[in-house]
Amino acid sequence: VKFFLQIALGIIAAIGGFVDIGDLVFNAQAGATLGYSTLWAVPVGVLGIIVFAEMSGRIVAISKKPNFQLVREKYSHRVSTLTLVASLVLTVLTLAAELGGLGFLLNYFFDVSVSFFVLVGFIAVAAAAYFLPFGGLERIFGYMGLALIVFVAASVKLDPQWSQIGNGFVPEAHSSALYWYFVVGLMAAAMMPYEIYFYSSGAIEENWEEKDLKVNRANAIIGFGLGGLIAVAILVSAAQVLLPAGISPDSIGTVALVGQVPYGEVGLLLALVGMLFAVGGATIDTAFSAAYNLAQHQRWKWGKRMPLLQEPKFSLSLAGFALIGFAIAQTGVDPIALTEYAVIFSIPVLPLTYLPILLVGRDRSIMGKHVNGPVSTVFGWSYFCLICVLAVAAPILFVVTNGGG
Amino acid sequence: MAVVLSLSACGGPMRPEELARSVDTLSSSAAEGALIARDVARDRTKDTFARARSRELGETVDHEAEKLSDATPREEIADEKTEAVSLAKDISDSLGDVRVSLGNSEAARKAAEELDDQSKRAQELAKGL
Repeated sequence: VKFFLQIALGIIAAIGGFVDIGDLVFNAQAGATLGYSTLWAVPVGVLGIIVFAEMSGRIVAISKKPNFQLVREKYSHRVSTLTLVASLVLTVLTLAAELGGLGFLLNYFFDVSVSFFVLVGFIAVAAAAYFLPFGGLERIFGYMGLALIVFVAASVKLDPQWSQIGNGFVPEAHSSALYWYFVVGLMAAAMMPYEIYFYSSGAIEENWEEKDLKVNRANAIIGFGLGGLIAVAILVSAAQVLLPAGISPDSIGTVALVGQVPYGEVGLLLALVGMLFAVGGATIDTAFSAAYNLAQHQRWKWGKRMPLLQEPKFSLSLAGFALIGFAIAQTGVDPIALTEYAVIFSIPVLPLTYLPILLVGRDRSIMGKHVNGPVSTVFGWSYFCLICVLAVAAPILFVVTNGGG
Repeated sequence: MAVVLSLSACGGPMRPEELARSVDTLSSSAAEGALIARDVARDRTKDTFARARSRELGETVDHEAEKLSDATPREEIADEKTEAVSLAKDISDSLGDVRVSLGNSEAARKAAEELDDQSKRAQELAKGL
């Protein structure tokens, strides 16, 4: 039980990170549009985030330096400020989308008004962030988000053709721009920068030390592995339910239906509850990530572990970002379109986020005997090259495919 | 850049591929509405979800109908555009029927059949474009 509680950080970072509102719909769209053929992109992305999360957690445990401190130290002032501004814009846009998603999900339970429930969701998440300790936030949102495992059960119950699923894990040469749009989007969704911001700052909140390196590895592998399993299951079950029916998911409600088809109302409720906490977790991830990044860049005191008045700038920036996200969500902007833009246009920020981790991870003067080994080095630089390719390809594919439409 | 390219695609008469995209949206909305209505008929969904989601689908369909009504199509697809507008109105009505059929399995079954039929009509229409 103790071990299970210790991997909450990885679970909330993963569930809130790549099973957030945009990814829930994006994964379902990939399955509903192209069947199983893009499945292979999910484990490629998951392995990438595991490599970088493990590295960033290890750096925190040894050097006590979270991600944006590395950005500040490794880049010139101009480049680090550019990275900060880009990350803040994308993170706050994603936060707005998550708040909008909370409004839709809560409205499915009560059918009153989406904008009213955006307000309710905002108040509920703000209250949770204020009253709960960091560990409590992780556990409630991370573990309740695991109700999304209903999609794993659904994909098995719907009796899939396993050989076709197996073929989906083998990359194929494809000339379709739409196919590559989904491949790039699925990989990017797994490696959204705010997952790393939250994970590395969360490791500081939990006061990780050298003795916690095993916990870090377990968090990275099990937490993000679980998130990846759920992402695969959503894609598979959407391919089984939505593709034959000719349904193209454009809302989180369509994704919930995928749980309803095999299990009726119970399946629907589990899907809605899982999505509610996953999207709530993503709201927490993004709001805190924005405040963490700004505070670390500006050398302010920061962290939920300290009393509010000891770090007023951090607390005010957290409240400010949350209010900006709420204001954007209340304009009625489509949260799905917003996160899809955020996913695709966050890709150019990825190299700027991940490069400092690689540079510090290989620095023996900082990491000592915990410097990157040959496996981390090979995977780290391979993924960095992949990220650079994605950064160029993503905006082009977005335009060519008319946003996957 | 995406915005610039999207804007540059605007203007001028509606092209067949644009009409096909709209009709695909209608087909998808009708198919999803049918799925919801079938589960309403079998009492295996949550009422608030069925009502809220079918309302969202109705709004999507109404929005497409407005876009289609406002658009001036190329001459060769004028009839198809008129048919799409009519189909959108039918789908919107059927989705409205789903919202008021909760607890009435017969009415929900009838709405599901209508939506299935409308989804197929939309698919046929899109194929011809």
